[in-house]
Amino acid sequence: MRKTLLAAALVATSFGAQASAPGGSGCGWGNMLFEGNNGMPMHLLATLVNGTSGNRTFGITSGTNGCDTSGALSYHGENMLAQAGVMEEVAQDMAVGDGEALTALSVSMGIPAEEREHFKKTMHENFSTIFPSEDVTAEEVMSNIQNVMNQDKQLASLS
Amino acid sequence: MRSINLALILVLAGAPLWAQATPGELATHPRWKALLHINEGTTWRYQGRSYIDDPEFFLHESGATDAHAELEASIEQLRPEGSEARCDFPARYRFLDRQLDWPDDGGLSHCSDYQEWRRDMPGERVALIFPASYLNSPSSMFGHTLLRIDRGNDEDGVWLSRAINFGATVQGQENSILYVYRGLFGGYPGYFSNVPYMNKIRDYAHLENRDMWEYQLNLTQGERDWLLAHLWELEDIEFDYLFLDENCSFRLLELIHLARPESTLMDDFRFAEVPANTVRSLDRAGFIESVEYRPSKANELDALVDRLSAGEQDLALALARDASVAEKEAFQALAPRSQNLVARAAYAYLRLQNREGARSQEVAQRGLALLRVVNRTPTVSGVDPERPVSPEKGHGTKMLAAGGGMLGDRGFGELQARFSYHDWLDNPEGYLNGAAIEAFDARIRRTEGDDLTLEQLDVVNIKSLAPRNRFRKPVSWFVNGGLDRRLIGSKRHLTRHIQGGPGLAWEMGSVIPYAYAMARAENNSAHDVLVSTAAGARAGVLWYADGFQLGLEAEGLYYHNDDRRYRPSATLNVPVGRNHALRARVERDGGPDRAETEFHLSWRYYFD
Repeated sequence: MRKTLLAAALVATSFGAQASAPGGSGCGWGNMLFEGNNGMPMHLLATLVNGTSGNRTFGITSGTNGCDTSGALSYHGENMLAQAGVMEEVAQDMAVGDGEALTALSVSMGIPAEEREHFKKTMHENFSTIFPSEDVTAEEVMSNIQNVMNQDKQLASLS
Repeated sequence: MRSINLALILVLAGAPLWAQATPGELATHPRWKALLHINEGTTWRYQGRSYIDDPEFFLHESGATDAHAELEASIEQLRPEGSEARCDFPARYRFLDRQLDWPDDGGLSHCSDYQEWRRDMPGERVALIFPASYLNSPSSMFGHTLLRIDRGNDEDGVWLSRAINFGATVQGQENSILYVYRGLFGGYPGYFSNVPYMNKIRDYAHLENRDMWEYQLNLTQGERDWLLAHLWELEDIEFDYLFLDENCSFRLLELIHLARPESTLMDDFRFAEVPANTVRSLDRAGFIESVEYRPSKANELDALVDRLSAGEQDLALALARDASVAEKEAFQALAPRSQNLVARAAYAYLRLQNREGARSQEVAQRGLALLRVVNRTPTVSGVDPERPVSPEKGHGTKMLAAGGGMLGDRGFGELQARFSYHDWLDNPEGYLNGAAIEAFDARIRRTEGDDLTLEQLDVVNIKSLAPRNRFRKPVSWFVNGGLDRRLIGSKRHLTRHIQGGPGLAWEMGSVIPYAYAMARAENNSAHDVLVSTAAGARAGVLWYADGFQLGLEAEGLYYHNDDRRYRPSATLNVPVGRNHALRARVERDGGPDRAETEFHLSWRYYFD
């Protein structure tokens, strides 16, 4: 029985969660996390025993710490962006034009290795279009990325 | 074909050929014991039986203590075609199926949950991850380890990997003294968890400022299959979490040992499992293929700041506070490449400052504005932090020292044994500069015309020097408890003490000056009161030169009974190879009325 429940969770969230409004449920731009009511001794202990406070995660449940995990999405870029704190990493990499988070995004979107350099360059050049405001959601970022890709002749076929 | 392969593997491994084994003999097969987590004398607790008490993990009621009964129950329940138990114990099924040559009846194909999980779980590469200790966080000082399971062989995709972590589950309602007690001495249930690796990158490298070392293991496809199948069996299974030995690192070793039971990983008795030693064990047993370094956010900021002039650093700070500084003349006057570095430093600083707590609209807005500045200036590459020596290359974590010297006009000989780990003048390769963590450090001494005496016993001695600069303002601290000797009147009295305090430190190249305020409580036979208290200060400088480490320090304490103690010292440490060092120390200890000078020379040998 427990395995069935687990599997349901796994299928539901192969890579995390649906995005929700920024700040709303703890996802989105600007949420650095680690809030919570644990306090210092609790945190020290959690570090000491490398533990989790209360919640156990197994399977491929998302463990997004504050993000909504109910979304039924598969292995796809948007889910990655919805992971707490990841959107900032991707944004930073796009601003600079390179970085592991941006590479991982391209991998998760199924962009072949030989196209990744071009993908990164295109994202770098369109940074302001992709991140128009600090209130942008993972969903919007993803759709902005798609739009940018559609307008690029090399990337259009991949989006 | 399958059994030929298996036989070949077993022959290669020098193991007895189990292929013709009877069910009875199978109960002692190394892999069967590994599947049941039987302690074969590796740690002190639960020897000869399974580490696991959870009845969910066993098919026989006395399975935890009787590997043979468990084997028979497993054969009985896993043998029938389409058995439900197979879906809970796929690795056991795989083992018995191969060993007993069961007919091909569809195996695990009816286990749709398991099949689905295996399809979604990556499984192409396995890495051991070691988030190193963070200088100023005592609880992280021994580090941590977890496993990373990669999707595909694409190194670019590690952000998409899964993390397998063993940790205690702590409930939030208890009081904090109990936490610490239970954390140290057991009593917390431990579970395996399986979360996106990017969450671990965020937790360690971004939130806790811990560098991460990623050791790619050379597990074969077959070995990874064992590991993953068994991992499924461990879902929601409760272990005990013991801080010293049965901890995060030990449980991972068990998993890796299961994947390759012929390895020597679990051969030695382990009193305590220190993560750096876990890495060394894997290295010695030939598991490690390559090493990657992932710097923390704080180190990334430091690397950026190192590229800036003092004026540019000021600009970066101003820009982090107010993004419109980018429009001002001072910023506009910089070369475009400098603008890029300044803006990146400003952004890194802003994020580091705001990494905890709730979202702030204003900070989010400023962050995006800074990234726009970064985006419109030409990217400067090659600003990644330099990779330090990896932790497993450092000196051994245990130490023995022999030496002698003069105290006043009398000679002495001394032996020292330290159980753990590193002081800040030991060879810094593979360790953090300015971090010291010592536990159970004892010195016994024979002075001319005297009996053998205990000179010092540090139960715990932790010192952290976290350098401050314009961007980071951490507070250093130290805490020390145990026994030491103190000259009171004309006699050196053994005192039981605890002392500690906050401090400040700075870094100037390889030199670290520091100052601590300190408080001390002690019990000695010279004072009438049970506990004497003192307040004072300690200041000094560390120099990490190329071939040696030098520490100069002075300490002054003022006691509540007007007693005073002064202790200036100089210590020189010269490493000889990785695991030896010559140490010389001169110290003056005493009060205003009487003081003695000690010269001490010792040879230090590090091991394990």
